[in-house]
Amino acid sequence: MKDGGLENKKELENSKKQSKSSKFRSKNDDFSLAIAKVAVAQVCESVGFQSFQDSALETLSDVTARYIYTLGKSATLSANLTGRLESNVFDVIQGLEELESGLGFADASDVNRCLANSGVIRDIVHFVGDAADVPFAYDVPRFPVVKEREGMGSFWEKGEEPHGEHLPSWLPAFPDPESCATQSTVGNGTMSGSNGVKTGLVGVERKIERPLLNCQKQFARNGNLRDSSCGAGDSAKAREASNSNPYLAAPLQFREKEVDVSPVVLPTKLSNEVVLRDSVPENHSGEDQVSVLETFAPAIEAMKSGLCEYDGSRQKNVLYNQRPTVHFKIGIGKKSLNTAPYFVSKNKDIHKIAYWFENSNEKDDRKRRAEIFSEESMECSHEPERMK
Amino acid sequence: MNHNQQSNDGKHDDDSALSDFLASLMDYTPTIPDELVEHYLAKSGFQCPDVRLIRLVAVATQKFVADVASDSLQHCKARQAAVVKDKRDKQQKDKRLILTMDDLSKSLREYGVNVKQQEYFADSPSTGMDPASRDE
Repeated sequence: MKDGGLENKKELENSKKQSKSSKFRSKNDDFSLAIAKVAVAQVCESVGFQSFQDSALETLSDVTARYIYTLGKSATLSANLTGRLESNVFDVIQGLEELESGLGFADASDVNRCLANSGVIRDIVHFVGDAADVPFAYDVPRFPVVKEREGMGSFWEKGEEPHGEHLPSWLPAFPDPESCATQSTVGNGTMSGSNGVKTGLVGVERKIERPLLNCQKQFARNGNLRDSSCGAGDSAKAREASNSNPYLAAPLQFREKEVDVSPVVLPTKLSNEVVLRDSVPENHSGEDQVSVLETFAPAIEAMKSGLCEYDGSRQKNVLYNQRPTVHFKIGIGKKSLNTAPYFVSKNKDIHKIAYWFENSNEKDDRKRRAEIFSEESMECSHEPERMK
Repeated sequence: MNHNQQSNDGKHDDDSALSDFLASLMDYTPTIPDELVEHYLAKSGFQCPDVRLIRLVAVATQKFVADVASDSLQHCKARQAAVVKDKRDKQQKDKRLILTMDDLSKSLREYGVNVKQQEYFADSPSTGMDPASRDE
């Protein structure tokens, strides 16, 4: 019995494969099959049947659909054989003859017959003459419905010139830098109030990871880096984030401009770190902070502040003074994945990334890009940890 | 030459008969809706802007279904007549004409469509009974 069961299973799989390969019945065919069932039922009723077995009706409607399909196929084949794209009445008659050849029709054996005079047509004429005119029961809309797709906003569609020869015109156009700039100024206002807030040690580690991920995300983005003021002011930003909708916050701007080195008031903790650095770091937490800063050094140096000038300049002030070695001692790698949602909701820096998700009406492509980049950066963040 | 002329006239008659028929098709509404026919023809790659051809295919399909249905009706009536013949005392079995898989497979076989199904599934008490007696 076991062997028998296995055989049946294989046969079933084979039959399924065959049915899939024939591709006549797709999973989206339900509507047309249902209509076919109604039509076939009406025809059978006109013939004289009063009720149907479910399976019989399904089988007959399936056969009817295949009949139409086969007729179309043979008509298309006849047309293509004579070098035509569009079929004409003679192609259809030839297809009908092929289908009826099993049962036979008048003049089938006549070699010199004209297709217009075919027995098949005569049969149909008789049928039309005899049959009652029973229209279809329902009003059928045209199907399948074709959904209008929005254009991709390519260079060609917008009428813009691509920035370089290497950019084909069918690619989507770059976003408008002016629109980004206006939104960034809005963000500036909201973020300026986030200063002088102490960060707890427990939260520091997480926030350390987040900015690093943030940095790497922005590295992943081709040259379009946004500022992420890592470390300092995170909690304040987080609070602001909770107040305002992060997805509506302004993006940060990447600008190549010199940052004025102004006297900066660091949060007490951070400033302590800086002081301690020159001397001997006394507490463990200090070391942590310092090492974090050290890790961020290369990243932060590469980034320029557009939006958070206040915060950014602070950090630059801190970092440009010393160039520490890079310690790859970032928190717990796996945590970075877990904190991703927390990451998005709390860290103000994620506004930059959140902007990527903004405006879902138009910028689906950008959204997808951002998500892809975030995934890549997650993977990137793992690599330095592995180097531990 | 005469023969040719006659055959030409004959051809013209055939053509005109065909075109007349196609024109008359527009008055007759086939039971199978045009949209369904167009869908399956489009699936098969059939391209034709002429609506009359769609109607022709619809009418041909309707004729096919009607033929199959009438064949199975004959099978059903024959079976009912046979049953009544055996037991004349009893009242005539229900006069409802039901399209069953049995009759359908018999009639489709003549058209080259092999529809086979299980004889019975031994999972219910009414297995193997005459389908006409079962409540549908």
